[in-house]
Amino acid sequence: MFRKSVSKAVPSRALLCSQRAFSTSLPVRRVVASNPVKAEEVKSWSSGKYPLIEHEYDAIVVGAGGAGLRAAFGLAEAGFNTACITKLFPTRSHTVAAQGGINAALGNMTEDDWRWHMYDTVKGSDWLGDQDAIHYMCREAPRSVYELEHYGVPFSRTKDGKIYQRAFGGQSLKYGKGGQAYRCAAAADRTGHALLHTLYGQSLRHNTNFFIEYFALDLIMQDGECVGVIALNMEDGTLHRFRAHKTVLATGGYGRAYFSCTSAHTCSGDGNAMVARAGLPLQDLEFVQFHPTGIYGAGCLITEGSRGEGGYLLNSQGERFMERYAPTAKDLASRDVVSRSMTIEIREGRGVGPDKDHLYLQLSHLPPEVLHERLPGISETAAIFSGVDVTKEPIPVLPTVHYNMGGIPTRYTGEVLTVDENGKDKIVPGLYAAGEAACVSVHGANRLGANSLLDLVVFGRACAHHIAETLTPGKAHKAIPEESGLESVEFLDQIRNADGPKPTADIRLDMQKAMQTDAAVFRTQQTLDEGVQKIHQIYKSFNNVGIKDRSMIWNSDLVETLELRNLLQCAVQTITAAAARKESRGAHAREDYPERDDDHWMKHTLTMQPDINSPNVTLKYRSVIGETLDENECKAVPPFKRTY
Amino acid sequence: MSTFLSSRILALEGIRCPRRTLFTTSRWSADPWPLPHTPQHLSNTQTPSDIPPPTPIPRPGESKETLRARLIYQSRKRGTLESDLLLSTFARDHLGQMDETELKEYDKLLDEPDWDIYYWATKSRTPPERWAKSSILEKLTVHAKNEGKVVRKMPPL
Repeated sequence: MFRKSVSKAVPSRALLCSQRAFSTSLPVRRVVASNPVKAEEVKSWSSGKYPLIEHEYDAIVVGAGGAGLRAAFGLAEAGFNTACITKLFPTRSHTVAAQGGINAALGNMTEDDWRWHMYDTVKGSDWLGDQDAIHYMCREAPRSVYELEHYGVPFSRTKDGKIYQRAFGGQSLKYGKGGQAYRCAAAADRTGHALLHTLYGQSLRHNTNFFIEYFALDLIMQDGECVGVIALNMEDGTLHRFRAHKTVLATGGYGRAYFSCTSAHTCSGDGNAMVARAGLPLQDLEFVQFHPTGIYGAGCLITEGSRGEGGYLLNSQGERFMERYAPTAKDLASRDVVSRSMTIEIREGRGVGPDKDHLYLQLSHLPPEVLHERLPGISETAAIFSGVDVTKEPIPVLPTVHYNMGGIPTRYTGEVLTVDENGKDKIVPGLYAAGEAACVSVHGANRLGANSLLDLVVFGRACAHHIAETLTPGKAHKAIPEESGLESVEFLDQIRNADGPKPTADIRLDMQKAMQTDAAVFRTQQTLDEGVQKIHQIYKSFNNVGIKDRSMIWNSDLVETLELRNLLQCAVQTITAAAARKESRGAHAREDYPERDDDHWMKHTLTMQPDINSPNVTLKYRSVIGETLDENECKAVPPFKRTY
Repeated sequence: MSTFLSSRILALEGIRCPRRTLFTTSRWSADPWPLPHTPQHLSNTQTPSDIPPPTPIPRPGESKETLRARLIYQSRKRGTLESDLLLSTFARDHLGQMDETELKEYDKLLDEPDWDIYYWATKSRTPPERWAKSSILEKLTVHAKNEGKVVRKMPPL
């Protein structure tokens, strides 16, 4: 099969034309790009078994969601020869699902101040957020939103033509004392969708070179510096080595490490895993946000309003178990109390279904008009995704992941961080990260609604700005060894020919179930330690993986196996970090350590895998930055007990 | 609805479950985003009419088998969970039997925005003229009804 791709790649070089490269997948035009610094086949490589095409760019962005596109077009606009590599067509990125809106203290509805926004964000983060980054994000928020408006994002308007802003949870005025803030700007009520389309349009206008449906395999590291990435073109099976002075990772979250999750199936933490394989740390992975009621197996959410309208949860004995955990509030207890009670019921063997691993949400007693008028959408969603008629049967549900706070540690400039021997922050030259893949950290231990889209645009933009300040377009590339990236190809070859007894889907399900059982919302030392053991076994079982498809072209089996390896790395680091953190903070709630412990744990977890073939994880810690960028401009928020 | 819920929770807050009070998420138990099939979500996901649709990638000379392999990948890798589940299961059940014309029609359908495909298939939004008489969309609509009453999961390959 790969022979065929050789013959396809070679004549393509004869047809070089210097016109354009966007959104075409013809290998002929793709290799070319608009300003062909260099795009040629490396002849001697890997004894010709896999053809390799080399590209040179000033900067590359991996991922084409909100953060990736914002970075890519910022770079192209600043005059850099920029490539954007993505495994999905840009408008199919998961940002399209984001509906919340963007927080920014524009002050269009009431008086507002970005310092109040900063206060809310620090408090929301449960003091795990870096205050310099939060300072930067909240200060830059209005400017970033006005820029988006300028680029054509169709924001909703007030009567006098200003951007309309609505109320959103966790947002207050006057440092928590002035009541509800109206800070969330929505793009004509279609935020993620409109944002993605606008940013993609802008990127094309600024001549970003898109490499669509390319799967990034690994970073190319040279003496501790990132000098590019190696990627597989899924359409023709060719391998591509992209050289760049700056590489921006914007690959999104890794929700798919869990059995129940609301993100699309592409959210496999590819960038996180690439960083881990480069010997660099990931940060605060133990902080994962859950929603209590996602449909079992599917992950689609059932509104929390269903319990507000009289819906209740049932275990296998038909008991309304929330009465035991929250005698007064019952099913109206707060989100994490409900999630944790549900997990305890399942753990204690009172779950429903053949595997006793979920619960029922009963709505059939509600009058049809309540269901129809006050809970629109539930009947349809339940029928389409679980085959349930809510007027007759309960909906199978369980707590469901919807955001990963942790990721690749970065400064507020987007530069990726690691720590030196003395535990001091050290910048990784040439490498940036933004979006859900990154941990800046502005969300700390818990993300506030409508701050995640803000995170995308502010830090996508910050990456572009910082690169523009530190790099001049057209700088020559250093020579790298011919064999750079060869290991990735050898691994690819190994997986493509893997004939072990375990199908990818089985290992994936084992991992997802283990994470759901032991690293979800109910966390004790015992459950986490058990989980670590299980995940170690599953991680090792990857050596027995077998795939059926041996081709190099549109081999979904191959790609999903590579994604599984990425997920396994994220999973093992997440659960190890959770087992180590002996306190409760934000989304990490430990039954055995119910209090936040600022004396010992106000620090970021860093997880590393010294040997990527082994599930052993090394833990390090890094201090939380408690000072703002400028204390005269904005004072830091000192920690206090967080109640709402 | 969310304000209704939160005010009730607020009223109960003082006398809530004694197990834990501190590490709760915000008392706004509002959903993280408007959920599908609500009027708000339906209007939120309208395809912007002011921005032209992106140009699909041209695939000249693609063989039928390559096309099928690509459509499997593209059915499993969507932007949203809902389309992932609907299209991956649809691909498993139907791609094998499609002839080249049907495969090409399905390919065109996959170029449409995810929320449009989803809402056309679930009859929550009227498809435009170009899809009004499509046999593929018709099949997808039947598939979306989930007459077999199964839980939708990403099927193994």
